[in-house]
Amino acid sequence: MTGIIPYPAHVEILGNGLKTVVMPMPGNGLVAFWTIVRTGSRDEYEEGRTGFAHFFEHMMFRGTEHYPTERYQRILTEIGADANAYTTDDLTAYHLSLAAEDLETVMELESDRFRNLAYSRRDFETEAGAVYGEYRKSRTDPVFTLYEAVVETAFDVHPYGHTTMGYEADIAAMPGLYDYSREFFARYYRPDNTILFVAGEVDPERVFGEVERWYGGWAPGYVAPPIPPEPEQRGERRVDVDYDGRTLPLVWLAYKVDAFDPGNPRRVAADLLAELAFGETSDAYRRLVLDEQVVESLSAGARWNRDPGLLDVYASVKAPAKVDYVIGVLDDTAARCRAVRPGPDALAALKSRIRYDFLMGFETPDRAAQRVARPLAVCGELSGLEALYAAYADVAPDDVQAAAEAYLRPERRTVGVLRGRR
Amino acid sequence: MTDARPGSTARRHAPNVDGGPDVLLPVPGEPTVSFSVSFGVGSQDDPPGKEGLAWLTGLMLAEAATERHSYDEILAALYPLASAYAVRVDKERTTLTGRTHRDTLDRYVPLFTDAYLRPAFDARDFERLKSDAVNDIENTLRYASDEELAKASLDAFVFRGTRYAHPPQGTVRGLRAVTLDDVREFYRRHFTRGNVTLGIAGGFDEALAERIGRTRDELPPDEAPREPPPIVPAPIERNEVLLIDKPGADASISFGFPIDVARGERDFYALAIACSWLGEHRQQVGRLFQVIREIRGLSYGNYAYIEAFPEGGERRMPPVNVPRRARLFEVWIRTLPNEQAHFAIRAALREIERLVANGMRREDFELTRRFLAKYALHFAETTARRLGYAMDDRFYGLEGEGHLARFRRMMRELTLDDVDGALARHLAGRRFKFAIVSGGAERLRAALAAGAPSPIEYATAKPQHVLDEAQEIARHPLPVDPDAIEVQPVEQAFER
Repeated sequence: MTGIIPYPAHVEILGNGLKTVVMPMPGNGLVAFWTIVRTGSRDEYEEGRTGFAHFFEHMMFRGTEHYPTERYQRILTEIGADANAYTTDDLTAYHLSLAAEDLETVMELESDRFRNLAYSRRDFETEAGAVYGEYRKSRTDPVFTLYEAVVETAFDVHPYGHTTMGYEADIAAMPGLYDYSREFFARYYRPDNTILFVAGEVDPERVFGEVERWYGGWAPGYVAPPIPPEPEQRGERRVDVDYDGRTLPLVWLAYKVDAFDPGNPRRVAADLLAELAFGETSDAYRRLVLDEQVVESLSAGARWNRDPGLLDVYASVKAPAKVDYVIGVLDDTAARCRAVRPGPDALAALKSRIRYDFLMGFETPDRAAQRVARPLAVCGELSGLEALYAAYADVAPDDVQAAAEAYLRPERRTVGVLRGRR
Repeated sequence: MTDARPGSTARRHAPNVDGGPDVLLPVPGEPTVSFSVSFGVGSQDDPPGKEGLAWLTGLMLAEAATERHSYDEILAALYPLASAYAVRVDKERTTLTGRTHRDTLDRYVPLFTDAYLRPAFDARDFERLKSDAVNDIENTLRYASDEELAKASLDAFVFRGTRYAHPPQGTVRGLRAVTLDDVREFYRRHFTRGNVTLGIAGGFDEALAERIGRTRDELPPDEAPREPPPIVPAPIERNEVLLIDKPGADASISFGFPIDVARGERDFYALAIACSWLGEHRQQVGRLFQVIREIRGLSYGNYAYIEAFPEGGERRMPPVNVPRRARLFEVWIRTLPNEQAHFAIRAALREIERLVANGMRREDFELTRRFLAKYALHFAETTARRLGYAMDDRFYGLEGEGHLARFRRMMRELTLDDVDGALARHLAGRRFKFAIVSGGAERLRAALAAGAPSPIEYATAKPQHVLDEAQEIARHPLPVDPDAIEVQPVEQAFER
């Protein structure tokens, strides 16, 4: 191993395009088995069809002919696996943490549902109700409400303009779209759009043999979605949200950035820029949170997206009257980042942080999987993650300033402000 | 409820005479070290009128200056290590935890130990943390998380009149009344040598363990031992309802009653099996999940508990560092439309009553105990979590065979009779307290008081047996006297 990932990764690709990454590591008898489908809300490009990637996360628990839901759940119960799934903009991950001796059982079960998912119209309609329940739960959260408004404002045509939950009207209409759901599954749930990640006390060759056995017959046929490219933003946008409840005012600045690409030095530097400008040890944090105490929390980060996405700066403001003042300070911060290189000490401290954060993140097989899932999905291979961390080490103060010049510009951003009821 | 339970005696340990940490979990070769420093003080020790004092004191250790460093210096020093420390203030205990890489111990340990040995009680930090804490109740708890609000309200409802009634973060008025001098005095009285449990885990060496152990002597000296008053909730003679009136909200429901059973006792593990069958947290196989969500699609999830489970929406596995002397049997019905709330409560009650009346089916018992024997592996996947469980074992007086090992053993040993017996002893014939956050509080109040059937309409076609069962659910007895229903405007929740 020469890179930053503390355990070696073994990779094999089946003839149908299914890639498997196996990472042997200590696991206290536990193994992480992740199925990463490289489809998320990004792929919902059709009008009126948002929310389906997330909806599939639910439907995948609805069983097959061979393993109807009850039987599937019963087996998972017998082996005491911790199974769940989540959906993001670029991927949907189905993850299990299980005792090492149950790996083959799990691979049989998982391969079956990815190959043969079969749900009735009735089950489909029922699950749509549960998804609506999840949306109801989410919308009581002001951060979600602002996030929903900011992405809708920031993107004109790209599906990043809706959250993974989808638009409420589309969620409400879901029960009538059974046939479309089958089509969605046929397009995207294919081996050539899927990566298996297996970590823990496992023998890679044995895992590859089981993958061949259970997944070898899965027919390829991924249909890449014709996602409309987002035109370049040429002017600042603004969205004000009234929240029907009490909350601190929230400020969200979303700057357009390039797609995640470890080979793009400017984009790599943007990750560091966000931290240096607005992170816990930044001047802005010290001033707004600790000294003046006008902001309760301040954070920033550039998203690792397949397509050009956003660098978000988020602040919860203690007093409604201070919203414009806070935006002003954040503006000044961005301007200073464009004008001045960061100090070498600050950059060195951040690089150290990134390194230790990564090393400490491989605590268990499941944590390792959480670390690698997104870069695996976005880049398609683990080498992207190694390349990224190598590139972080090479970032110079000039690169950070160049990233600020390129990205932290008013005409590239959307300003979102949410205010609660008084 | 009596107080003669594990935890009441274990709350104040004899000081460790060897001078080392109380809990050591070495994992040779592990690249990180985890720390846990737990004090026998929590929100139950808040003086009346100063609810939130323990919370603020905890935060003044973990998120404020020390005598050696301002808080921004601490952040700057921790930053390159990608390490931090955090505090959990709960009803019984205040626990400071941290973790760092072996390579960075020399820089980390002085910062971590200063946090509990040499807090500076800086006035600016205090203002910041106090304002954050008030906001946490006024905005977050009341308005941003109806499910947590319902859970905290149930605690307040059941433990009304006891020191468990207010949430760990206190109340708005209580927090506002707390002064920096109160915090200093609270620290001096409670964060003492005889009131601390020190724990270390992972890739540490003997010298580091000794160093952590020696910090005990630098804590303030003990005053006369003081036992907290017993937590004796009022008996629940009839069903009682607390409606939190929150205009515009869907319904979020928690209900339960006190149970007199704790970790270590055989009945605890027997009830854990029954409870898991009803609704293991965030698992889809539970009976409540099946009846309310899987078959009917009403809410996102429905689970049952015999121990406190804060932040349920954010965690999959049980929390550590929230050991309590008094516990509830509790059901959590996640957010659902107001017009379905009455039906969902009836559906959950009906399942509980049927379980108690009929006992568990043998096949369900066998399946559930097999499930839990392995599922318990996930409770403590990391070393830091294992340390948390070991610290909680001290509280419950389980220093020999700890809770997790006992849990797995009990899953092998318990019989169906044990489970049915525990159900009969602890759940039979009980009445409940219900806390419901709702945008339709007035209508729900009228419906509950009238006790009329509560049929629901399905958006989609259902098989006949589901419709038949729904008929029974809709008419399931849920007696609530009109004068046993309170309606509280959300603005008043945890105001005082």
